[in-house]
Amino acid sequence: MNPALRTGLILCFAVAAAAAMNLQLGAVNLPFTAVLLGLQSGHENYFIVHELRLPRLLLALIVGASLALAGVLVQGVIRNPLASPDLLGVSQGASLAAVILIALYPEVSSLWLPVVSLLGALAAAMILWLLCGRHASPIKIAITGVALAAFYASAIDFVMLTRPQNLNDALLWLTGSLWGRSWEQLWLVLPAVALMPLAVGLCQRLNLNNLGDDYATTLGSAVPQTRFMALALAVGLTAASVAVCGPIGFIGLMAPHLARRLVGGRHQRLIPVVMLTGALLLLLADLATRIIKPPIELPAGIMTAILGGPYFIYLLKKVR
Amino acid sequence: MSLPWPAKYLVAALLLLVCGWVSLFTWSALPITAHEALNALIAPQPGSVVQTVVLDLRLPRVLIAAIVGACFAVAGAVMQGLTQNPLASPGLFGVNAGAALGVALASIFISWQTDLLLPGAAVIGGGCAWMLVMLLGAAWQPGAERGRLILAGLAISALCAAITRASMILAEEQARSVITWLTGSLANVGWDDYSRLWPLALIGLLAATLLTPALNLLSMGEDQARNLGLRLGRIRLLASLTALVLVAAAIATAGAIAFVGLLVPHMARAWVGPDQRKVIPLSMLLGALLVVAADTLSRGVVYPTETPAGAILALIGAPFFLYMIRARS
Repeated sequence: MNPALRTGLILCFAVAAAAAMNLQLGAVNLPFTAVLLGLQSGHENYFIVHELRLPRLLLALIVGASLALAGVLVQGVIRNPLASPDLLGVSQGASLAAVILIALYPEVSSLWLPVVSLLGALAAAMILWLLCGRHASPIKIAITGVALAAFYASAIDFVMLTRPQNLNDALLWLTGSLWGRSWEQLWLVLPAVALMPLAVGLCQRLNLNNLGDDYATTLGSAVPQTRFMALALAVGLTAASVAVCGPIGFIGLMAPHLARRLVGGRHQRLIPVVMLTGALLLLLADLATRIIKPPIELPAGIMTAILGGPYFIYLLKKVR
Repeated sequence: MSLPWPAKYLVAALLLLVCGWVSLFTWSALPITAHEALNALIAPQPGSVVQTVVLDLRLPRVLIAAIVGACFAVAGAVMQGLTQNPLASPGLFGVNAGAALGVALASIFISWQTDLLLPGAAVIGGGCAWMLVMLLGAAWQPGAERGRLILAGLAISALCAAITRASMILAEEQARSVITWLTGSLANVGWDDYSRLWPLALIGLLAATLLTPALNLLSMGEDQARNLGLRLGRIRLLASLTALVLVAAAIATAGAIAFVGLLVPHMARAWVGPDQRKVIPLSMLLGALLVVAADTLSRGVVYPTETPAGAILALIGAPFFLYMIRARS
């Protein structure tokens, strides 16, 4: 069998296994049969399985996949292994906008969250673009992004701490958690699902882009256009996931590197595999947050940071 | 300004005194006049409510803010002198996050209490984090890339902050107190905090002052400094320990206040030039001034709620950091 296909299948199995574990384990551990029965309404476990764990599982799949995909698009376009939406401040920009909305206008419907966080993410991406210009080195882009992210993060802290009455709502976003999410939030993240096929359509152009601007232009690819579309997709994917879960760090950085190790850099293979990898990472992180010390839950963003921090250091040693 | 340097000191000290005085009476739940605040210091009358507020709540808070500011600023100045890196500061090199992790773990897992427990844990945590950042960023090698060091600091900080939050949530703390403490707040300090803070801070500040000639030599480059008879290894160890003690004393009292250590030494250098013998004392004054001012503002931004002083400083400091990166690269 084709090795890339085999890797993909193995990953599919891993995601399915992790998903099954996510449905079974938690504050109450259920055997697998109980999970299956709990999917039917009226059963004693219906509430736990259908109302709590299933939407959360689906969210983890979608958010993990979109963050990872956004990471691949950003890394592919600016050819910078240290780039990802959260390191460039795009996630923090989106969540700053979301936190401002929650804290200052608590009466506004949460349906506006994706729109507002999309605006925040776009603004953050524009500011970074203006500050760095076209020909900046990878390290410079990364530290400018980090500095911007630090600024947005301190602004988030400021807004939250000056409005303590809305702190708990805002905290749900800030920490990057999947806790307490229900079917309602699943609708908010659907735009991300709609964007995913568009990324697949960009595969061929992204491959050409990897050859370098000159080659890609010679081969008939409109490089600036590709770059713009890929970045816009990445911003949209990030904004949609931030709107429901807050900034979950390091998945957009880790998943693309892991996926490239598994199947190499061709985007036709890379994109499906990276989505599976991202979903798997977030599923495992979310699972770990629930089973470390039930019934207390840690935000998933903390687990991904504990995993991702060391991985980032490893990458930093490797990138020259 | 073309003042002679003693006059600059005087200006900074006067500003600090005025700011401290303003901080004694503004934004209080109980109305206090400027005159009453002054009276409480000069001619204390026992039994007066206003005076109790000034002497037991406000005064320790102002003093602690001043000392904490001086500690962070001098720690930043020492780190910048030691590493010859203009971006060196406790916040960016992971020392703050590491020290906060040390304090969090010690207060969760160690039940016996001594005055030195939290500062000690902060020294160990901050020291480990700093060493890791320096090793990963290859900071001692000549021609080390500054951006890499900053990114290593970021990664270590993110890791430490995640573990800190996780351990505090698992220890069933309230989310609000965690955030307030992590951003650095002076809202709940009193005289007993003051008596724990000042001996350590005094030791650290004195040591930093004594180290200034050696730091001056270091600024000529390592080879030159060695030729002039400087023992590099010993100076590095002493200076690192000094910076760590300063940061640890401040963090154990007020939590991690970011960007003071980055901002203030640059302000001081812009004002009196690169001589460390002038920069470090001026950093003390300016750092104290900055934190006292931020703390006063922190009470007024959303009166009557307290905003942590660290949140305000971060809001000022982060754009400055951005400016520094763009100016240097």
